[in-house]
Amino acid sequence: MLLPPIPSPDPLLLPLPPVALKALLLVTFTLHLMAVNLGVGGSLIMAVHAWRGKPEDRDLVRRLAPLLPAAVTFAITLGIAPLLFVQLTYGPFFYTASVLTAVPWLALIFLLMAGYGLLYRFVGSAAAPAIHATSGILGSLLLLSVGLMLVNVTTLSLRPDLWAAHAAASPHGLRMNTADPTLWPRYLHMVAGIAAVAGLLLAGWGAWRRHAYARRVGLLWFIVATASQAAWGTWLLVRQPDPVFGLLMNTTTAPSLMMWISITCGGLALFMAIPASQAGAPAKAVWAPFGLGLAAVLGMILLRDQARDASLAAFGFHPEALPHKTDWLSLGVFGLTLVGLVVLLIVILRWATQPAPSAPAAE
Amino acid sequence: MNHPVWDLPLLGSGWIIGIISIIHVSIAHLVVGAGIWLAIMEGRAQRAADGDLQAWLRSRAKALLWLSSIFGAATGVGIWVAIGLVNPTATQHLIRAFVMGWAIEWLIFAGEMATLIVLVRAYDRLKPRQRLVLYWLYAFCAWLSLVVINGIITFMLSPGKGWTASHAMWDGFFNATYLPSLLLRTFVALALGGLWGLAAGGSSNPTLKSRILKPTALFTLAGVLLAAASGWYYFQSFPPAARELVLGNLKGATSLAQGFRWALWGLGAFLVPGLLVLWAFFAPQTFRRPVALLGLLLACWGFGGFEWIREVARKPFVIRDVMYSNGIRVEQVAGYLKDGFLPQNAWARTFAASKGDTDLAKGEALLRSQCLACHTRDGYRSLKALTASNSEGDNVAFIQALRELDPALNPYLDRMPPFAGTEQEAELLGKYLGSLKAK
Ligand code: HEC
Repeated sequence: MLLPPIPSPDPLLLPLPPVALKALLLVTFTLHLMAVNLGVGGSLIMAVHAWRGKPEDRDLVRRLAPLLPAAVTFAITLGIAPLLFVQLTYGPFFYTASVLTAVPWLALIFLLMAGYGLLYRFVGSAAAPAIHATSGILGSLLLLSVGLMLVNVTTLSLRPDLWAAHAAASPHGLRMNTADPTLWPRYLHMVAGIAAVAGLLLAGWGAWRRHAYARRVGLLWFIVATASQAAWGTWLLVRQPDPVFGLLMNTTTAPSLMMWISITCGGLALFMAIPASQAGAPAKAVWAPFGLGLAAVLGMILLRDQARDASLAAFGFHPEALPHKTDWLSLGVFGLTLVGLVVLLIVILRWATQPAPSAPAAE
Repeated sequence: MNHPVWDLPLLGSGWIIGIISIIHVSIAHLVVGAGIWLAIMEGRAQRAADGDLQAWLRSRAKALLWLSSIFGAATGVGIWVAIGLVNPTATQHLIRAFVMGWAIEWLIFAGEMATLIVLVRAYDRLKPRQRLVLYWLYAFCAWLSLVVINGIITFMLSPGKGWTASHAMWDGFFNATYLPSLLLRTFVALALGGLWGLAAGGSSNPTLKSRILKPTALFTLAGVLLAAASGWYYFQSFPPAARELVLGNLKGATSLAQGFRWALWGLGAFLVPGLLVLWAFFAPQTFRRPVALLGLLLACWGFGGFEWIREVARKPFVIRDVMYSNGIRVEQVAGYLKDGFLPQNAWARTFAASKGDTDLAKGEALLRSQCLACHTRDGYRSLKALTASNSEGDNVAFIQALRELDPALNPYLDRMPPFAGTEQEAELLGKYLGSLKAK
């Protein structure tokens, strides 16, 4: 059999040590994912409640939906950075996968714009409630389909052994990575995760703002979505290719440890969320499942990275061994810009949260 | 191409970049200019204690947020997606060379979005002075992101000897066309932003109209005139070979000339809004939104024409003198000529193997890797049409000639990369070209 056609890496040196790039990748990806949880998961939840349409639902939507477009803006902005760092380190795999499934990958942009546009309509619309809710539901489904395009490329990038057959079957890049058994479980695992974390964030907001209904439905979303992970997570696990599956089943390895810690955190969060969601439960009962749930997500992000490197190691790729030469000058400029940004954000957020001047502003 | 090739029949994949980048680049420049325009207008409105105008500007800021967050950010991601698909090898090279630049750009973009969101959403909490500061901060961040991205775009046209030797990011960043291009882009941004303001002001209520249109018309006019002047300065800064290529095309040396005519008409069209704005200045009450939209359309055409000429001026490279449009680095050519392309390119081999490793399959694999970046089989710049009158022997001789690195022997070097393969590979490709006729 032919060796998998892995393109040769680019000859230019990395500007930072690979571990630093990996750290940047993981940090920016985590931020991106949190914004996605808030913006996309939040859109789904708000749209469903708008559709349900009881007075308490409408109150929730009225108060929280206006935050969604900004959250999606941040999700996009924060998504660009990990996209950059992935290309930098995993370029030969990432680009190959995206070209092989070019049309779905390109469709991502149009799905994103359409979903985003509908979301603005949902938030700003004075239309009849049914149309209003429909644009919200459609918009959040479109935004969730963006995630499918990302999972599609990501899964294909991890399977160089599937590339040649994929390329032969799909010379114009029309086909999705459906030959890979992890595609659907991985996607559903992700969607459930997004809904669960969005629910947690909603519950946290409800506890903070003394909004009992938000607290309760937020926890309910979290409970249902997390319980469904028993199906998606297990399905994803058993469909992993051999080297990764073996690694995860061998409890002495770091990825396996990470997986069990995350599952434990998620399970504990689930069991603590159930009593906390009951009618008479105190608001502060939210915080334990909140913390444990987020810990589970962080663990899963690390696990995701370890599983990726394990998959690619099977094809002889070791990101930590890529040659580099630290570009101190650029790092300095980056650091200064970062300081500038942080100062800017502190100042303008203080302005944004100062009490409004008592005299009404000129309108 | 080191990576697999996205074979998009008829249109060719390059058009995808063209379409997305025209939209993105127009919006990206427009929001820079509109930011500066908003800040200047808000300053005027505050000095005149003009509450109506301030309220109107607030609605413009909201529209700008909408525009830059939905279309600006999403088409920005779109460019990444498109260039990675069309030329993954070049994209990877650029990312390796400039990742820190993009990281800096990204911080600035985050600041840009944050200032605008705070301005729009917390407007009522802000003191007038803070509002003005935010308008200016937004304008400054938006312009700074142009300052950064401009270094990377101009690098592709004129990377410079310094970078080739050092591979140090800032050597490539501050290159020969950096400053002229920055000036040009800044002024184009003013023109586009001003036209956007005119379009909005054209349908505002009659009492506000002249207060909006008069200063905006002057702002736009300044943008158009300064852009024209700096365009000339920019062209003078081109590397000599690039300038010759453009001038040669002007004289109709190749069939690129048709596209060039469109681009040149566009450059002319860019000046028309300069006349249209006089209407807004002298007779604001009769000025209507469609006039401004027409001006905006013409200006975008002109700007698109400019971008098209800039892309052509880079041919046959994607990074001048460093990497050809088909992703082959200049330094790789000698090795491919001597030891062959197929043995050293995993994806070309994979493609040939998927079609049974016949001679024709190998020829097609070479064509995909080395030619489809600029040609299609039977659509845009069709190889079938370009070789229609050739015999198989002609085709083989043509590819053999493309192997020559001396411009005296290979007259195509100013628009096509050399064919990077052995004599046997040239024959395989020539035969495949001949087979297109039968299809
Ligand atoms: C950098 C872009 C680029 C690449 C890559 C490229 N070409 Fe071209 N090619 C051009 C341009 C531009 C022309 C001139 C177009 C015209 O005259 O219509 C041209 C013209 C041609 C012609 C017509 C020549 C003539 O005498 O008028 C042929 C045949 C041709 N190319 C074949 C190829 C083959 C085969 C390859 C791959 C080895 C290739 N090209 C790669 C840009 C390219």
